[in-house]
Amino acid sequence: MTRAASSQRHAEMLLRCYPRAWQERYGEEFVELLVEDFAERPHWSGRTINVVASGLLARLSGAGLTGRVLDAPDQTRASLAALIASLAMFLALGISMWSQLTIGWQWSAPDTPGTTIAVVAMSVVVVIFAALAVCASGPVIWTVIVAFVRRGARGLGRPVLLTAVGLALLIVGGRHFGNGWPGTGGHPWSHQGMVPGGVAAFSWASTLSITSYWMHPAALLGFPLPEVVWMFTSPLAIGMAVVGSAKIVRRVQLSPRILRVEILLGRLAAIAMALFLMAAGLWTLKGGSGPRGLFDAGAIDRFALIAMTTSLVVALHSLRRTRSFCCAQVTH
Amino acid sequence: MARARITAKDDADPAAGLGTFGRYAGPATLILSSLADGAKHGYALTKDIEKFAGIRLAPGTLYEALSRLEGQKLIEAVPSDDRKRPYKLTAGGAAALRAHLNAQRQVADVGLRRLARSWVAS
Repeated sequence: MTRAASSQRHAEMLLRCYPRAWQERYGEEFVELLVEDFAERPHWSGRTINVVASGLLARLSGAGLTGRVLDAPDQTRASLAALIASLAMFLALGISMWSQLTIGWQWSAPDTPGTTIAVVAMSVVVVIFAALAVCASGPVIWTVIVAFVRRGARGLGRPVLLTAVGLALLIVGGRHFGNGWPGTGGHPWSHQGMVPGGVAAFSWASTLSITSYWMHPAALLGFPLPEVVWMFTSPLAIGMAVVGSAKIVRRVQLSPRILRVEILLGRLAAIAMALFLMAAGLWTLKGGSGPRGLFDAGAIDRFALIAMTTSLVVALHSLRRTRSFCCAQVTH
Repeated sequence: MARARITAKDDADPAAGLGTFGRYAGPATLILSSLADGAKHGYALTKDIEKFAGIRLAPGTLYEALSRLEGQKLIEAVPSDDRKRPYKLTAGGAAALRAHLNAQRQVADVGLRRLARSWVAS
């Protein structure tokens, strides 16, 4: 391979650091510049770092998290999509944590006020999350249906399909593996559970992949094969549902009134996230291991707390940007 | 060379100018200054800026600033068949650059005046 061909290939590889829209707009000229830069400064290592960092920044801008490159309406939708992604990350970790605790409670009630208060508070917040999700998705689903009826749903087909397949996989798989769990009510102490056994088991099964077993592959492979397969496929299903939902919000033309409602619901969700995080922190720090170690907080729970805090910070940041851009859009 | 007239129809707000560019205000000023005497493509911009400012803008930094400037309508791409697309200053960009450089000159004037009063050049 000649040096020119090698430079071209290297430049095209670096271009992949940028989001697709950026590549379509600036790709050709950027590759030209990189090729000329390679020829002039072949051994400058700072170029790769600079391009990778700029590409990451462009991706964050595209996700509505930084910069002010997008138009106001697009920026509003991008920030809402980022809010959905951060909420999804928070919920996946939070539900995983909560389901372990509620299933533990079915076997034996907690023996410390810290765990008791934490599980009750987390359960209340999960109900609030469910109500908020119904309220938030209703207007968006309605807008999408109207767009399809009026044949104005350009670019919405694939994200809708992605979301539907992801949710279907999650529901079918979650129910299948949840039904095989004793927490569904099939044991003599299920009456002492805080939440219906089926709900707890479904939540546990749908977040089964969030486990410290990934750090112990030999033990992981000791599980029945279908369960191992589900641990690989369920994160994909969650990812499909989240990416599809975020793309729908990016592409659907939401009215200013619906945007205002979504932002209000986003603010309520952020408050709920903060409450859930406080309860989870209380359990992790003051809960104790409980009878038979049923409520023991492990390293994965502490890691989840850090990741959930990060998700909350990203959600608040997205929300702040959504509000400001939405206001600018409505004002203008 | 014909000088572009600045009209009230400009989309960009010269008062806001480069204030929203944060850490890209420096590269943006260099790019606008380079484009002030005519359209240039990416590589020509890099070489021109290196010549008059002694700074070599890295490719990622250059295009991050270019995309922001284009997003704010301070510059625009010139239609071209070549893969190297040139950019030119808009009237709003010229106004923003003038406002920014005037503000910088004011700071420089004050700094130099105070230095002259209190410090003797070695």
